[in-house]
Amino acid sequence: MAAIARPLPRSGGVSWTSAIPYAVLLLFTLPILILYGWLIYGSFFPSMQGLRPVGGFTLENWRFLWAPETVEALRFKPPIIPLTINTFIFALSTALVVLLISSMAGYALSRIRFPGRRTFLGGVLLLHSFPSVTLLIATFIILRQLRLYDQLVGVILVKTAFELPFGVWIMKGFFDNVSWDLEMAALVDGASRLRTWWQVVMPLVKPGLLALGLLAFVSGWNEFLLPFVFMPSGTQQTLSVVLRAILNEGRFVDYGLLTAVGLYYVAPILLVFFFAQDRLMKVYAGGVKG
Amino acid sequence: MRVRLEKLTKRFGTVSAVEALDLEIASGEFVALLGPSGCGKTTTLLMVAGIYRPTEGAILFDDRRVDQLMPKDRGIGMVFQSYALYPHMTVAENIGFPLSIQRGMGKEEVTRRVREAAALVRVDQLLERRPGQLSGGQQQRVALARALVKRPDILLLDEPLSNLDARLRHEMRGEIKRLQKEVGITAIFVTHDQLEALTMADRVALMQDAKLQAYATPAELYARPANRFVAEFIGSPPMNFLDANLGARNGSVVASSEGIEIEIAAARLPRGDGTRKATLGIRPEHFEIVAAGQGHATGEVYVVEPMGREQMVDVKVGERLLRAIAAPGFPATVGQAVGLRVASERVHLFDATSGVRLA
Repeated sequence: MAAIARPLPRSGGVSWTSAIPYAVLLLFTLPILILYGWLIYGSFFPSMQGLRPVGGFTLENWRFLWAPETVEALRFKPPIIPLTINTFIFALSTALVVLLISSMAGYALSRIRFPGRRTFLGGVLLLHSFPSVTLLIATFIILRQLRLYDQLVGVILVKTAFELPFGVWIMKGFFDNVSWDLEMAALVDGASRLRTWWQVVMPLVKPGLLALGLLAFVSGWNEFLLPFVFMPSGTQQTLSVVLRAILNEGRFVDYGLLTAVGLYYVAPILLVFFFAQDRLMKVYAGGVKG
Repeated sequence: MRVRLEKLTKRFGTVSAVEALDLEIASGEFVALLGPSGCGKTTTLLMVAGIYRPTEGAILFDDRRVDQLMPKDRGIGMVFQSYALYPHMTVAENIGFPLSIQRGMGKEEVTRRVREAAALVRVDQLLERRPGQLSGGQQQRVALARALVKRPDILLLDEPLSNLDARLRHEMRGEIKRLQKEVGITAIFVTHDQLEALTMADRVALMQDAKLQAYATPAELYARPANRFVAEFIGSPPMNFLDANLGARNGSVVASSEGIEIEIAAARLPRGDGTRKATLGIRPEHFEIVAAGQGHATGEVYVVEPMGREQMVDVKVGERLLRAIAAPGFPATVGQAVGLRVASERVHLFDATSGVRLA
């Protein structure tokens, strides 16, 4: 139950002992917070020397938003808004397909005793341990065969495949925690297996679905290697690929620009984490009762 | 609706959970499946519900064979030991769930039926709550309402009272019995508590090791247990058992055991060879404590346990402890020599090896 994890509301003042954990946590988070602050601050100046800005306040670094044609590294790239939309499509589709397949596979693995179930579970775990780099060539051949090479759909499928082992295991764990009695009750109440799954079991693993969906989304948003390798030409490129282009092109790296684009790139993720941190914790805590 | 189980068998791998169970339940009857844990009573119930498919045998509701039907096609309502309320739904949604599945029932009709069922078990004030906000007794009532709302032909209850505290259990015992009679529904409930079975059921099916041991009214189970297991399981505190030899004397049979001799009318015994071994069974409440030297046995008081309404007195006869019930005022002190008397028609006789009832 979620309520147990939360501290009780306090009537008096904050006692010293209860402040200690926060102090320790603050100590460890402070460097990260300072770095973020420094990044945001620095993105509004031509350059930084140490922690101090050089030159006056400027929006020059953020001009990729309204005048991308003036940024050399982005001249031959699609405009920033379509790129962002591509990234959204990529991350969101990945998350949705992962959710759909994981919830069905996880349910079957949790509830149905079929031959080869243990082997399958073990195999899935083994797959999870392969870094995607090792499978690049094989994946490339498959995509070519399927005529999905250099297309967003193809990359979405590949990304989904890499995310699935984790998703299936997580969802199986959540389904394991749903009591059999509830399913029996639904069957006796007149529901079919499918309706039982959808109306009784799925609502109970909602925390798992939310958390897994968020993780898959974040992972898709951050993905660089797969879009970079499997969509070389494209109009369908994602933000991570463009970020790399900025790092690579020209004789020297424009750190001001890099900072601004980088911030633009992580902003959605930070927002997602900010609003969903409670739910994300649940994946690791493994709770199901909401 | 009449329920008939014919040679019902369920095996999990090589393990037999229920073996060739024959049982007939009359329409409107309240039957308890009673037995120690692992005896197959819940498995039987789940087969009737349609959760488990029988390995062999048939289940008939009236004359319709249902053992291959899905639970939803059987017209049953069920209350689970854990209540199995849907945690993400309100009480009203929980009770309404079986109706919401049925096609062609209007929203108003559903609401009306939900209110009706909730009123029946007196949870109509709680309709907007969620199961997590209810006490155990309230959850139990909601589970009952959900089981009854679609007006099933048969009500199944799996250990309905085992998660309640003692006081509430007593209350719900009466409540469920009243409800069953009021609705007039055929009901089967599973319990491991003999007191629950005796107090609530019209008939009790006592199971052990996957097999039916006895199927009779509570009064009959108590008065004429079919075998030693039944005699031991029914009644609290349990029956005293003594190994005895049977011998003929003056036209009647004498059962003698260490320190005890009881004459039994020969007419009660099946014709036999005169002398044989048997097990005597005497319920504690049928022992009368008398002065030492009188009665059928003499021993000394070993321990006295006052229980308010009565006292439980263990009497040491030879090397054996016999349990007797005495009135609360009975002056028993540990070590005191006393006699035990029992009316001979109260004595049960079981075959020493098979345990089958002789008289």
